[in-house]
Amino acid sequence: MKLKANAQVVEQIESPKTPTGKQLKIVPKKKKSKWGQYKHGLLFASPWIIGLLVFYAIPLFSSIYFSFTTYSILQPGEFIGLENYKELMHDPLFWKSVYNTVYFVIYYVPLSIFFGVALAMLLNMKVKGMAVYRTIFFLPTLVPHVALAVLWMWLLNPGFGLVNGFLNSIGIDGPAWLGSETWSKPSLILMSLWGIGQAVVIYLAGLGDIPEDYYDAAEVDGANWFQKTFHITLPLLTPVIFFNLVMGIIGAFQQFTLPYALTQGQGTPANSLTFYVMYLYDNGFKFFKMGYASAMAWILFVIIMGLTAFVFLTSKRWVHYQGK
Amino acid sequence: MKQSKRRVGLLAFVFVLTFSMLLAGCSSDSSSSKGNGDQTTVTFWHPMTDVTGEAVEEVIKAFEKKNPDIKINAVYTANQGEGQNEKLLTAVSGGNPPDVAYFDRFEIGSWAAQGSLEDLSKLAEESGVTKDTYYPFAWEEASYEGKLYGMPTTTDSRLVYYNKDHFKEVGLDPENPPKDIAGLEEAAEKLTIKKGKKFKRIGFIPWYGQGWLYGWGWAFGGDFYDPETKTATANDPKVVESLEWIADFAKKYNVEDIAGFTDSQGSGAMDPFLSGQLSMKVSGPWEVSAIKKFKPDLNYGVFPMPTPTGENHTTWSGGWSVVMPKGAKNKEAAWEFMKFFSGEEGQKIFSGIARDFSVIDSVNEELGYKNDPILKEFVEILPNSHHRPVMTQGSLYWNELASAVENATRGNGTPKKLLDKVNDKVNKELKK
Repeated sequence: MKLKANAQVVEQIESPKTPTGKQLKIVPKKKKSKWGQYKHGLLFASPWIIGLLVFYAIPLFSSIYFSFTTYSILQPGEFIGLENYKELMHDPLFWKSVYNTVYFVIYYVPLSIFFGVALAMLLNMKVKGMAVYRTIFFLPTLVPHVALAVLWMWLLNPGFGLVNGFLNSIGIDGPAWLGSETWSKPSLILMSLWGIGQAVVIYLAGLGDIPEDYYDAAEVDGANWFQKTFHITLPLLTPVIFFNLVMGIIGAFQQFTLPYALTQGQGTPANSLTFYVMYLYDNGFKFFKMGYASAMAWILFVIIMGLTAFVFLTSKRWVHYQGK
Repeated sequence: MKQSKRRVGLLAFVFVLTFSMLLAGCSSDSSSSKGNGDQTTVTFWHPMTDVTGEAVEEVIKAFEKKNPDIKINAVYTANQGEGQNEKLLTAVSGGNPPDVAYFDRFEIGSWAAQGSLEDLSKLAEESGVTKDTYYPFAWEEASYEGKLYGMPTTTDSRLVYYNKDHFKEVGLDPENPPKDIAGLEEAAEKLTIKKGKKFKRIGFIPWYGQGWLYGWGWAFGGDFYDPETKTATANDPKVVESLEWIADFAKKYNVEDIAGFTDSQGSGAMDPFLSGQLSMKVSGPWEVSAIKKFKPDLNYGVFPMPTPTGENHTTWSGGWSVVMPKGAKNKEAAWEFMKFFSGEEGQKIFSGIARDFSVIDSVNEELGYKNDPILKEFVEILPNSHHRPVMTQGSLYWNELASAVENATRGNGTPKKLLDKVNDKVNKELKK
């Protein structure tokens, strides 16, 4: 039985590579029902399937229904149709949170790509001890968000912080950073960029994927560093940039832990750090308005979905896969 | 045959594994509800640290000594209270709440309206706990539509603390602190030392510490809620006036510079009033024990929050309570603890250490609050004190007022418009 099972596994693994004609021959011979084929696979996957259904699918789809009700977590509420969505359109704090979030996305995502690629290229040089440097840049991603918030609150402390201390020593009177309406969001972007290591690792893998041949050929043709970077490295890195762009947009729209920990959920100063998901959370868990919060969640879903689709559509123009 | 047997065995194994995992996940604390022998464990969530943390520990110790069959499992829960009860909320709706929770009294109204607290009226009646034991406002704040939902534990009031040495230094009479708003402004100006954008010392920051709009609105003679019509009145002209005064103050000293100052400050021993960087500060009686602990030689006094006329001084009182979340498992043992905490014995221990006022007048008397030169002031203003409205949207109102102050000080809209907006939003929710 063991052998047979193994053979089946091998078949399944190899099947995409084998020509379809051969596969078709095998299936009718065995005359196994579909259930027989999938039974073990499904069985072994069942904990995850159950988990996905119970913890993702059901809450996800019930939240569509809840967004049309006055559900408060503790009470089922009543069906009110599109009232929640209509009310959101007239909620100034909703629009403020949209503004804050879009501001963050617009600055953070391009900056993270720029610094991510730049860092990855630096860390791709053939220098002794590179593993150490790579580790150093990856380390910040291991710091939990709340710890990161506390750490940066000290770094950016207007009176005794290292950042303002440094600025002071070069003759600049630093701003109040997180206490200033103008500087609070840039501070947050700075803090988020600190944890860029995850993306850098992916870029590094992408860089490693570019065959040396291209560079050799370019060398022979007398190309300089700029030409090599802009005509070989960056074009061939676009699939990875594309991936990080999509993930970056999704992540940035869901910014929550950092500003929430920084401001104890208040979004201070003057709601300049009230992000979309924070306001959603307040409505759902503080003001007993889970229906309203569900409506917000679905609006966010549509926005992210739309943007992702847009990026995918444009990707044909600027993403270059090797061998194509 | 052998094969199919094996298959059945495999199937059974997978199912057992899956379900045992699920079961293990669901019943994580079934073993902890009973301690050794017949001991019942009561889970108690509270957000107290520092001095209050010590006080609650002593209460628990005394209770366990008196009730050897009940063990209190005190769990520190960060950010519980003042509109931040999300952990408790999810625990209640998930059907796995603590047996007792320390709870900000002003939220009892909205939580009771949502049906998330156990009605204590019957338990109180059976144990002979009545309204007469407590300050009437504390009991009222813990009740919603005539039913009791919490046992009050503490109360407070707000006054302005001032540093007498600073007063002497700049030529102000330390025994004659300001009574009206004009006097306060004058003193604040004299006390402030600013170099460039940096404050070496600030005289006063109206919204710092306990300088909530509730306090200033009432000091200016305004009102926030009409219990008759059940509507919020945030745009009461007097409240607007108080916010205008706060906004002017922010403008005069440049709010971003003040934020730079306040964001640099810590709490506990690093509090700016204790470290001498802030000369006046609105705060509650708990500040007294913090000063005693961290800076016992501070030469300070208190005075009521100034009013425009210099008369009719007032303040507001909040306070905490212990509640039983809906679905609590060990109701009887939990009630015993609540009764003890809120009763004279528990109050004496807690109030004695935390220096938070008891909700029982005789305890305050016995602990000597009425003889203490500083605390006397806090107790004496209680008859003129206000309480936050008991309403279904207490948290929303609180948050909205707080962000109205933030926005007004930052110059994002006029106080009148901001408060109009608050009023509209809260009243809209109240009508639902």
